Amino acid sequence: MYAMLTPTFTLLAVFSLVPFLWAFWTSFFDYEVGGESRFVGFANYVEYLTDPTLVSSFVNLGFLTAFGLLTVTTAPLIIAKLIFSLRSERARYLYRVLFLIPIVVPGVAGLMIWQGMIYGDTGFLNELLRLVGREDLTRGWLSDPQTVIWAIVFIGFPFAGGINILIYYAGLAGIAESIHEASELDGARGIRKFIRIDVPLVMSQMKLLVIMTVIGTVQGFEGMFILTKGGPGLKTMVPGLWMYMNAFSFQRMGYACAIGVILFLIILGLTILNMKYFRSSEDLTAENA
Amino acid sequence: MATSTVEPDYRQGERCRLAKVMRHFVLILILGLGAWALWPREDAKAGSSEATREGSASRKYTIRMAPGLYMPGRRPMNLGQPLQGLYKVRDEFEKVFPDTHIEFTEVPVSSREYLVTQLAAEQAPDILNVNVEDVWQDIQKGWYVPLDDYLTQPNPFIPQGKPGSKEWWDQFKYQSITRGLGAPDGKMYCVTLDMIETGIFYNKDIFKRLGLQLPKDWTEFMEIHRKLKSAGVTPLLANTSDMADWGMDLIFDQLYNEILPGLDLAKDPKREVYLDGYLDWDELSFLFRQGYFTKRDPRFVSVFRELKTWRQYFQKNMNSDLTKLFVTQKAAMWWTSSYAVNRMVRDPDVKFDWGVFYLPAMTKQHNRFADGHDQVVIGGPATQLEVTNSAYNDTDDPKTSVKLKRTIAFLQFMCTPENTHRVVNEVLALLPNIIGAEPRPELAPFHEFLQRKYTTTKWLYTFDLRFNEIYRRMLDLYLNDGIPEGEFMEWMETNLKTATDTVVRRKQLDLSPLEAKWKELAPIRSKMTDLAGVN
Repeated sequence: MYAMLTPTFTLLAVFSLVPFLWAFWTSFFDYEVGGESRFVGFANYVEYLTDPTLVSSFVNLGFLTAFGLLTVTTAPLIIAKLIFSLRSERARYLYRVLFLIPIVVPGVAGLMIWQGMIYGDTGFLNELLRLVGREDLTRGWLSDPQTVIWAIVFIGFPFAGGINILIYYAGLAGIAESIHEASELDGARGIRKFIRIDVPLVMSQMKLLVIMTVIGTVQGFEGMFILTKGGPGLKTMVPGLWMYMNAFSFQRMGYACAIGVILFLIILGLTILNMKYFRSSEDLTAENA
Repeated sequence: MATSTVEPDYRQGERCRLAKVMRHFVLILILGLGAWALWPREDAKAGSSEATREGSASRKYTIRMAPGLYMPGRRPMNLGQPLQGLYKVRDEFEKVFPDTHIEFTEVPVSSREYLVTQLAAEQAPDILNVNVEDVWQDIQKGWYVPLDDYLTQPNPFIPQGKPGSKEWWDQFKYQSITRGLGAPDGKMYCVTLDMIETGIFYNKDIFKRLGLQLPKDWTEFMEIHRKLKSAGVTPLLANTSDMADWGMDLIFDQLYNEILPGLDLAKDPKREVYLDGYLDWDELSFLFRQGYFTKRDPRFVSVFRELKTWRQYFQKNMNSDLTKLFVTQKAAMWWTSSYAVNRMVRDPDVKFDWGVFYLPAMTKQHNRFADGHDQVVIGGPATQLEVTNSAYNDTDDPKTSVKLKRTIAFLQFMCTPENTHRVVNEVLALLPNIIGAEPRPELAPFHEFLQRKYTTTKWLYTFDLRFNEIYRRMLDLYLNDGIPEGEFMEWMETNLKTATDTVVRRKQLDLSPLEAKWKELAPIRSKMTDLAGVN
């Protein structure tokens, strides 16, 4: 058994663990690609605390994470419930497929569509405003400091992510029929039943999606990189993008590694918090047993 | 007895077969579409023709070049025929040197990420085309080959008696700008094949309709903006990155020229001959420590106020497609470079008369810090060809490398007037920098602009990329009402402090000679007004 695991573990070590340890070690050096490296201890970490982007980027990150959590815990769950409530199995299958189809569009292409077709000079929003005679309200949605962060978070509207819907759907499908019958006998119907019965029982799915959303938001910067480069100014700057710029544009590898380690610690902390305080149905069952 | 609605077996079998056929049909259709999408286009085939050339693999030396705009087989701006100029030059060069093969490669040279990784791994093309100021950031790493020793030798492809037959240097038409590209370490890392310059492209039809004349000074220039705006026309198209680059440098020059004799602390024996009064990173760093370029420097504050005032006349969205807006006559003026001439001349959608003028001077009537001198050159060198460390990877020693000799020979071969004409004039965008290769008539205005004095400094090409990044971002925010002036100036000061400290540390600059010169110039400055932190 152990021998069978060895190749997997070796690959994991080479491509994931070793780079992580190397990054951790590099974060203690002033290391520029092609240049000499110099041990600086915790200087990179201390410098990051006074970095001009620190406050803006973490405020942005907080906002994006909060908005991401709000959307991932509401829209896909509601849609999953609506689909699950359909009587016809064929209709349920059809809607699942329909909501899943958009995931074949590559993420970058999706971003470009939003950039050009929705937020562009002659995109949907500006043309709509012109149509209703409000030319004065048209703007560069991704270049206006007042609108850019909202323009970013609304990408993906109405937030009906196909995979997320499927995860919730699987959770709803896993609820025993006896529970539904018992709750209905007790008079729980409609929204009340959804809030009191369904939501607590899909908590383990929600927990998974919350963790994935937090990790994805803290690590991710590709949306900002493609759409705004973190601008205008620092209005959409996030720590991941600043880390990337330091590593590959400014060649400050040691500093970028320090930012990476800090992000790792933040993700680790949030995941532990989530595991500890976000109780799923299994946890509740175990507690009651 | 209930009636059965079950289909007969034969009909079910038929439907299964039909479904099977449909599935195969859809899969084959998808595969067909995929193959069609991946099939190389005609111009791509032209671009890759060298890969199939006979005998190229058997040659001893392969030189890879990233020519940028002149990439053969490509159609710049999707206009005109695929370029062939460099293919012709290459073919003739390979006849002279049968042991050498020249390969053209298209790389994202504007991408810093690409360059850094390729250069660090000694995998970069042997000849690159990047702004040499970017090269200066890395000269201490040995990634680029200094070209001084070659430039002071004759170009072997030039006949006796012609410019270049004594020194390669003599071939360059715009001498002061070309020599001015010497790095602050005193060495030259690039060969400048052509020039670019900025200009205000204007729609003559709109100007005529509104009775507007070309401006003689900045006051008149602003008046034109006002008239255009009140007539409901977008006065000017420009983007933030150009404001951070050209805008900042030009207005800085206008407002500091009067006090420059009191601030020009270093006279580089090589570069100062060509760049009269140019402020390098050591001078800027020293002056910053004396309070210049801070919120206590009234001229510095005024530079950004001028940019902000100007911004109100630009298009609303700084990310708009400016070319499209100008071509479709949505705006009266467009601040861009000679690069746009190719589009303006060849695009069938341009259905109006257009012209070009240079930014006019600022006078005291407009700004009390201005002295009314002509606006300076801000463009200058365009195709700057650098030789990388890959060029001597045959021996790992530039002194013994034959491949490096061939690389230099190819650059020299490109610099003959005939070859430069073939390559540069094939695209209607840039002006040949080689004596004997005349620019296209459509570019004549830019040739006149280039006769002016060179800029006092280039803020975006002086310090490190971190400075540039923050400066550009914050200027963008300030110009678009994202932050007030006070906050912007705080950002600038903090950013400059970091940048000047970094450049002094990284380049191990000795500022003490500047200190002595600073004291020496004190009597001159005592007669000046509005100096930083003094008045």
